[in-house]
Amino acid sequence: MIKYLPLIVRNVFRNKIRSLFTGASIAVSLFLVVTLYALLTHQDELAEASKVHNRVAVMHKAGLSGQLPIGHLDRVRSMPAVQVAAPMSWFGGNYREETVQFAQFGTDPQTIFKVYEELEIPPDQLAAWQKDRTGCIVGSVIARNKGWKIGDRIPLQGNIYPVDLELTVDGIYDGPSTVDREWLLFHFDYMDQALQEMRYPTAGNAGIVMLRTTTAEQVPQVMRAIEDAFASSDAPVKSLTEKQFAQSFTEMFGNVRGFIRYTSLAVVSALLCVAANTMAMSVRERTREIALLKAIGFSKPSVLTMFLCESVLIGLVGGVVGALGGKLLFSLVDLSTVAPGLGLFYIPWGTALWGLALASLIGLLSGLVPAWRAAQISVIDGLRKVV
Amino acid sequence: MPQDDVVVELASVSKGFWRDKVEIPVLTDTTLHIPRGDFVAIMGPSGSGKSTLLNLCAGLDRPTTGRVIVNGQDLGELSEARLAKWRSENLGFIFQMYNLMPVLTAQENVELPLLLTPLSRAERRRQAETSLRIVGLSDRADHYPRQLSGGQEQRVAIARALANDPVLLLADEPTGNLDAASAQEVLDLLDGLNQQFGVTIIMVTHDPKAARRAKRLLHLEKGTFVQADIEALEAAR
Amino acid sequence: MVPLKYNLRSLRARKVGSLMTVLGVGMVVWASIFAFGLSAGLDKTLEIAAHPLDVLVLRKGATSEAVSGVSDAVARDVLALPGIATDGEGQPLASRELVVFGYLPRRGQTQPVNVTVRGVEPVARQLREGMRIVAGRDFRPGLREAVVSRAMSARFQGLGLDEEFAVQEGQFRVVGLFEAGGGAVESEVWTDRNVLAQTVNRTGSMSSLQLRAASAAAQEQLVNRVKADEQIDLNAVTEAQYYADQAAQSGLLKIVGGMIAFFLTIGAMFAVANTMYGAIASRAREIGTLRALGFGRGSILMAFLLESLVLCGLGAALGCLGALALQAATGGLRTGTMNPGTFTELAFSFDFGPRVLLKGALLAMAMGLLGGLMPALRAVRMKVVDALREA
Repeated sequence: MIKYLPLIVRNVFRNKIRSLFTGASIAVSLFLVVTLYALLTHQDELAEASKVHNRVAVMHKAGLSGQLPIGHLDRVRSMPAVQVAAPMSWFGGNYREETVQFAQFGTDPQTIFKVYEELEIPPDQLAAWQKDRTGCIVGSVIARNKGWKIGDRIPLQGNIYPVDLELTVDGIYDGPSTVDREWLLFHFDYMDQALQEMRYPTAGNAGIVMLRTTTAEQVPQVMRAIEDAFASSDAPVKSLTEKQFAQSFTEMFGNVRGFIRYTSLAVVSALLCVAANTMAMSVRERTREIALLKAIGFSKPSVLTMFLCESVLIGLVGGVVGALGGKLLFSLVDLSTVAPGLGLFYIPWGTALWGLALASLIGLLSGLVPAWRAAQISVIDGLRKVV
Repeated sequence: MPQDDVVVELASVSKGFWRDKVEIPVLTDTTLHIPRGDFVAIMGPSGSGKSTLLNLCAGLDRPTTGRVIVNGQDLGELSEARLAKWRSENLGFIFQMYNLMPVLTAQENVELPLLLTPLSRAERRRQAETSLRIVGLSDRADHYPRQLSGGQEQRVAIARALANDPVLLLADEPTGNLDAASAQEVLDLLDGLNQQFGVTIIMVTHDPKAARRAKRLLHLEKGTFVQADIEALEAAR
Repeated sequence: MVPLKYNLRSLRARKVGSLMTVLGVGMVVWASIFAFGLSAGLDKTLEIAAHPLDVLVLRKGATSEAVSGVSDAVARDVLALPGIATDGEGQPLASRELVVFGYLPRRGQTQPVNVTVRGVEPVARQLREGMRIVAGRDFRPGLREAVVSRAMSARFQGLGLDEEFAVQEGQFRVVGLFEAGGGAVESEVWTDRNVLAQTVNRTGSMSSLQLRAASAAAQEQLVNRVKADEQIDLNAVTEAQYYADQAAQSGLLKIVGGMIAFFLTIGAMFAVANTMYGAIASRAREIGTLRALGFGRGSILMAFLLESLVLCGLGAALGCLGALALQAATGGLRTGTMNPGTFTELAFSFDFGPRVLLKGALLAMAMGLLGGLMPALRAVRMKVVDALREA
């Protein structure tokens, strides 16, 4: 078959417009399918990537709306195999007139960057923040999107808690693409002291405690130990691996994921129709040529294979543009400005290659019937079709 | 020749075709008169050359120089859109490949050019029926082209060409695709139309037997038309 | 004009090709209707919730009721303000409400999500249009009883009639199911305010006040008075504005929906164009003949655009029927997702109303026009002499 490749390729491009349109149609639809699929698995992807850090999230048994007493933090730190732990209390404040919130965490400046060791922060900025009670560190992506620089003042109006924060940017952290760079981190004590002074009932809420175990094998034990330790306290807890924690968020989106799956199915089916139609048209046009090939001596199976190769090739080209092109697109374009909180969205290699395979499959399936019919063309009838 | 008796006039017409940067002259400073009621056969080297005359007469192509005047109308003065209308009112076409719409019945095919006229539905139908009767295919009015033989298809095409009562009938290799018997039928028909109804016909052909049926023969030679004698031509071969 | 029957019969003559295109367009429209229906359904739910004269009073800075806190004392001051409408018996239409999160798993899953539990007084029902008990009975004050929307009871464990669920340390029993014609209340569990307050240690305060103003002018005054009064020191917002702000947060979902529809359309356009190109290529001689006969460029252009539109029209009809059929078969396509404004469950159903269907149909028409345009232009730009010569 390989020696027929030039012939096959030239046949694909003989009707440039048709091949272009079919390829384009496959490319566009595949781009859509691949992007949707990547969206579905995005959170899982990120979580998988951070598995190496052996992080565990501890929260109140009743979920994120429960209060996790800050007192629990010391107890957790003293437990065996817990390397380091930091609180992350979601502040949820309002920034100016914006309706869409971004992540703001009250945390411990001494330990948070040890828990998230993959984050990069210049040591002088970290030191400055650790000394500055009303200071904050912001992620490089959100800093860029909001135009924040070191020294800027960021006022946060209390939403969940009736206390406003006046923060100063002491530093900007960066990190690999798998990590969330849209956080704002400030001193937990700054917020909590204000709440204690007004004797606010939910003062001292650590939100979640994020910790790292010394080794991966220790994770399940540590999780169990922590849950046992607080089981009979006023605030029982549950612990989740970082991956489970991420998944609990996607879970909230519920059936929408199912809807996305069905849409992808519809797209793929529509595509099959289109591609099959094109191949059929192409075969119809070339009846005489096919008859000639057979008259010369090409066997039925070789005619069949040739046509299948053609349709697979078109599918493949469409797939390259759609799937790989999509991957390229999202590596160049950052969606965080348009869809805050999504994190850095990218299409992983696995998904892109799977999309490529799907495109080729579509090419194959769409070519089956037309190729079979081409192989069946009777030489006599085919040659007789006079102009 | 009195002017209003001339249906087609070519005045100093030149036309060339470009093939890969080389210009091939087809007509060179040609003059031609075709009077009303004439039946002219045009022969010559094969290719787009012979059909050029038909295309010029139909306004489907424009001469490089010179004027083409059909039925008193200088075609060069008409815009694309006007030409279309003019064609529908003045010309009838017969092609080698019949060119019937496969999805329309014989009668519907004949009615097609009538849609471009202000005739009512009933009038159109009547005219089409008349046309079909003239070519002897009234009994096939509701048949589709695929249900007709080659000769019958061509006769339907002739009926279509007649439907709008044209001043001029242009036939491009009308018997090219037909067997001897069908060709004979078609030529008889054309002959009859010309003799009985005085229809002016220009027929391009490479078939000497067809050319014989015409009143006169023109040969395309060195870019111009030369009155020829069919027997002499045949003898020279 | 080129006769319509020529176009229609030509479409029929190329049955397979035409059918494939119709199917392809149909699926694209079907999927797009889903995307639009999702967006529309979400919006509708949040829209219906708002009564034009209602005002929501919250703690300053709180963007949702769940994080807001209002003390009993301040609430009394607010209730004394003028401009609040009254019911037939002269009672003010002002409801004190406590909103708390329940943490429950959906049926068939293990991971719990936040569910809105609202503690109310009897007057609250008058502030929700069309709310009525459809199964069981209403809850009795002073007891740990609750009523649940029918939609929620179907989706969540422990929320079925006579089932029990937990709110923090307390167990509650579902004694009735209600319906309210769509709207955010269909995502809620209702119980007695005092009982709920005791259960979660919030006696002496509430989350919010919902007031019905006597008139539009009174509404504006109420909002201003609440905000301006230093003793009260709370935030007031019209209910419509409150829900509009929440809807604004579902940006990501809308973007996904829009993206789906956009790319689907483009993909389909290529499909339609392909079909039309094929049709035109095989009918070159017919086109040339029509031109030779005297049919002008314009009428031929229209003819082919029309064919393309007919194909897409059929596809659109198919897509719409498909969506409606699915809705009928599943009894309304109810689903739920996270309300991005409150981080709680929002139950909604896909909206396949006439506006959404129309959007899908228009999309198909656009596909037809744009997809068929280039091929149609090519058809008329062919030189007649070349067209006639083509095989």
